[in-house]
Amino acid sequence: MEAIMNVNFFVQLFLSTIRMATPILLVAMAELYSERAGLVNIGLDGIMSMGALIGFLFGYMTGNPVLGILAGALAGIAVNMIYAFCTITLCAEQIVYGMAINIFAPALASFIYRAYFSDTSTVVQGISMKPVAIPLLSQIPIIGPLFFNHPVLVYLAYLLVPVTAVFLNKTKAGLNFKAVGEYPKAAETLGVNVIRQKYLASTICGALAGIGGAYLTICYTSTYSEGIVAGRGFIALSAVIFGRWMPGGVMLACLLFGFCDAIQIRLQLLSPGTPYQLLQMIPYLCTLVVLVIFGIKKSGPKANGKPYFREER
Amino acid sequence: MEEILRMSNISKQFGEVFANKNVNLDIRKGEVHTLLGENGAGKSTLMNILIGLYQPSGGEIYLRGKKVSIDSPRTAVKLGIGMVHQHFMLVEAMTVFDNIILGVTHDKSFFINRDKLKKEILELSEKYGLDIELDKEITEISVGAQQRVEILKALYRGAELLVLDEPTAALTDIEVQGLFQIIHKLKEENKSVIFISHKMREVLEVSDRVTILRAGEAVCTLNRDETTGTELANLMIGREMTPSIYEKKDGAEESVLELKDVDYHKNNKHNGLNHVSLCVKKGEIVGIAGVDGNGQSQLAQVATGVLAPEDGSVILKSKKVTKFSPKAFIDAKVANIPEDRNKMGLVGNMSVEENLVLKATEDDRFSKGKGFFLKKKAIHEYALKLQKKNDIRCSSVMQEARNLSGGNQQKIILARELDENPDLMVAVHPTRGLDIGATGYVHDCMIEARDAGCGILLISADFDEILKLSDRIIVMFEGQVMGEYSGKNPPIEEISLAMAGKE
Repeated sequence: MEAIMNVNFFVQLFLSTIRMATPILLVAMAELYSERAGLVNIGLDGIMSMGALIGFLFGYMTGNPVLGILAGALAGIAVNMIYAFCTITLCAEQIVYGMAINIFAPALASFIYRAYFSDTSTVVQGISMKPVAIPLLSQIPIIGPLFFNHPVLVYLAYLLVPVTAVFLNKTKAGLNFKAVGEYPKAAETLGVNVIRQKYLASTICGALAGIGGAYLTICYTSTYSEGIVAGRGFIALSAVIFGRWMPGGVMLACLLFGFCDAIQIRLQLLSPGTPYQLLQMIPYLCTLVVLVIFGIKKSGPKANGKPYFREER
Repeated sequence: MEEILRMSNISKQFGEVFANKNVNLDIRKGEVHTLLGENGAGKSTLMNILIGLYQPSGGEIYLRGKKVSIDSPRTAVKLGIGMVHQHFMLVEAMTVFDNIILGVTHDKSFFINRDKLKKEILELSEKYGLDIELDKEITEISVGAQQRVEILKALYRGAELLVLDEPTAALTDIEVQGLFQIIHKLKEENKSVIFISHKMREVLEVSDRVTILRAGEAVCTLNRDETTGTELANLMIGREMTPSIYEKKDGAEESVLELKDVDYHKNNKHNGLNHVSLCVKKGEIVGIAGVDGNGQSQLAQVATGVLAPEDGSVILKSKKVTKFSPKAFIDAKVANIPEDRNKMGLVGNMSVEENLVLKATEDDRFSKGKGFFLKKKAIHEYALKLQKKNDIRCSSVMQEARNLSGGNQQKIILARELDENPDLMVAVHPTRGLDIGATGYVHDCMIEARDAGCGILLISADFDEILKLSDRIIVMFEGQVMGEYSGKNPPIEEISLAMAGKE
């Protein structure tokens, strides 16, 4: 128990929280953009797994983690365009196509992995993104290593939160964007191109979710394995609800889930007697509890989940 | 006067049905031009084409003499066409200010410059006498204020031509006067207004010219000064209006519904019943007069078994009701025309034929094994029969009910409720939002049902309707019965006073 009292233990715990929360945050922001434009996308897990695989592959082939991340983003966009075309242009049911992506994309990712590395018995070691210490700031005790010694992607993920908040609340474009999720017909009559805004949302969503997936294989581990996403897309989905569709709230929700993940790993190390499966449940249990409490009052964008057809009477 | 807009030979088809057929319309600068027509005559469709929400199946649009193609609302906004929709296009979760600056405006800056924009908007609102509070959320302001926001939205985008789709439908009388003042202001500023309505008094008060639409076609355009309300009404309906005064009757001795000292949330003045006693006899129409929200809604729900009273008794056909459930009341042959046809009377996403048998699915005529297997063919034939009998206008009985106009939706409900020869019918605002033709039809149906021996409890906020139909009139105020009057030569002044709560 001495270890718990150690300052270093807490630094490590919070450091781990930030790292664990990063992929969830990226994907939750993806979902936030999507839902603010009225598209409930439950296919995040699927998009993430494609991002994870393609990101890993490109990183492995080029030896450049940045190219890997970019490839992951493009893969995410490509997968999400299937969803976008069906739900926006064909006005299909969003939940059904989100589910379809979840079934199709991870399977395709594993297929590509096996086809590329025909020998699957050994774990292929890919590239990994090195932390970048910010000069001076990273020298501050405790705070330095905690906040200022991360891979670039982590900084970008957290930077996305204020950027999104400003976009949604302070800019004209953000106002139009929000209106599409609230009352698309009103937006349309005021000259907003609803369909274009929705495709824009889907592009952002695909890119961010793809990057979230690539983070797992480039920053978190440097290997790809089946099931690496492990339901993080769904956790991100609940983070958006928990965070009340606000960037700041979503970030806090992600940090909570990241914290659960971090503490679960530490508990595994501290109590070897407990079956690790039980402890692994913590983040998911936490998601469940949060959804039960905060999912009751639905207060998201009004037109969320509804297809938009201009000539509907 | 100079012409600003000409729509020439516009057609629009939805499936097989023509919503507009070769419609011609020309609008001059600085005039108020009314589009007059019944529900479903194609007024809204024509305007939705004008603002680019619908694409016409045929025809051309000329603006200031130049041919234009309005392929999206964005184009319409840029061309200076604005519309205030019947159902307001306001984002409820946003403030008035946000709603006004939303979308395409002359302001291209990336960040929202609140102070500058607010000043612009306030100047504009003062110029037209549009009194609004910019920082309130839409849900916090009245319907009249929401409409002013809509008008301001259009003006802020530089609209020269403003379409007002049934703008008075949701307004109080005072708000209507305010709106007319705004319309006069717009005229003074040389803007053109297309005013859509089917209320004759308003049309005559506000218009310069009137174009009449009937069944998707433009019948003719008349100058306001050269026509009369009767002429317009006849043109709109397409037949001579005969002022039909129904014969008033005394009901039989036997009563079909009796309420004795019924209480429901009796301390609640607006949504409760306080010691209500009344009876409806076989073969009579009892009209409940009163300002909306004085317990009428609760009365209707008690009389149809939706709500159970807290005290007192309800007697249906001399049997005291012990179990309050809609099903029990339906089985006792109680028909119901609910106050909101879309929410309570129909399932919008289901077809006309499905809606027609909604109450009788367990009937042997329509299913085997008490609703287990539906007899689709029998249902279809039955629906065709009712469609014909009640003149329900739809492209097919398989069409979704929500795509029908209000009048046709009400006909579906009437057909369903009256086909079983009910003993009691509870009708709440049966003609709300309907045009003259559909209203007449609903009234005829009710009188016919009465003459066949049905007792009718008519609840309506439309006093004229109560006077026209009721054999007996009961006035309700704050959940209480204020008095009962004969329907033959009713003392109108006395009743009006009772409606206002004076003994």
